[in-house]
Amino acid sequence: MNHLSAHTIDIPALLAMAHHPKAGAVVLFSGETRDNSHGKEVSYLEYEAQEALAEKMMADILQQAKEKWQLNVAIAVHRTGKVPVSETAVVVITASAHRSEAYAANRFIIDKIKHEAPIWKCEYFTDGSKEWGGNCNCREITGDVNKHVYEFEGK
Amino acid sequence: MKIYTYAILKDYFDKEFIVDEQLVTVQDLNNFLSQHNPAAATILSACRYAVKDNFVTDDFILTTEDSIHIIPPSSGG
Repeated sequence: MNHLSAHTIDIPALLAMAHHPKAGAVVLFSGETRDNSHGKEVSYLEYEAQEALAEKMMADILQQAKEKWQLNVAIAVHRTGKVPVSETAVVVITASAHRSEAYAANRFIIDKIKHEAPIWKCEYFTDGSKEWGGNCNCREITGDVNKHVYEFEGK
Repeated sequence: MKIYTYAILKDYFDKEFIVDEQLVTVQDLNNFLSQHNPAAATILSACRYAVKDNFVTDDFILTTEDSIHIIPPSSGG
């Protein structure tokens, strides 16, 4: 399964793949384009990726989560290209026996993708301006481009 | 060596370009590019470098045949 998509993400189709007879909990996170950022009105986002690395890293992150929380299902798909307001830019689905593992794993996966996967967002505003946005700035805290401060760690 | 840049780095460098200078390590390449374009020095210092689809450290030894991908801080999601 590809983890990057240049086309609209079909969430119902992905959710249909997430049902598992041993899973009592399925958690779906959809990261979507917001209509505002930095006090300006957003027209759309455009995502770029170093695709070979991003595919590999997302597969590794999903595998880490599956092993750590004994997930039955772990799915993640991130958009590339133009994503209009209210459309899904990234989806993460986790399924496990109980909800606590599905929630925790889901947060782990999205945090790791946001901090580590070579995917970049450019915000295009209705005033015609644009801005590469939301860069991981953990290096300013950790002093190391490879060390991050994750939300799932509660920091 | 061939260099590939992404995202905000494309505001400072071409998307792909060749570096002919004799540079030994990734750190040397970083220093060379920072001197070549000082406005990019801050963002370059926050970048990761990848060769053959693997991230490499600052002391990684480069060859003239390498293709080097300069990876700015992530901003997916």
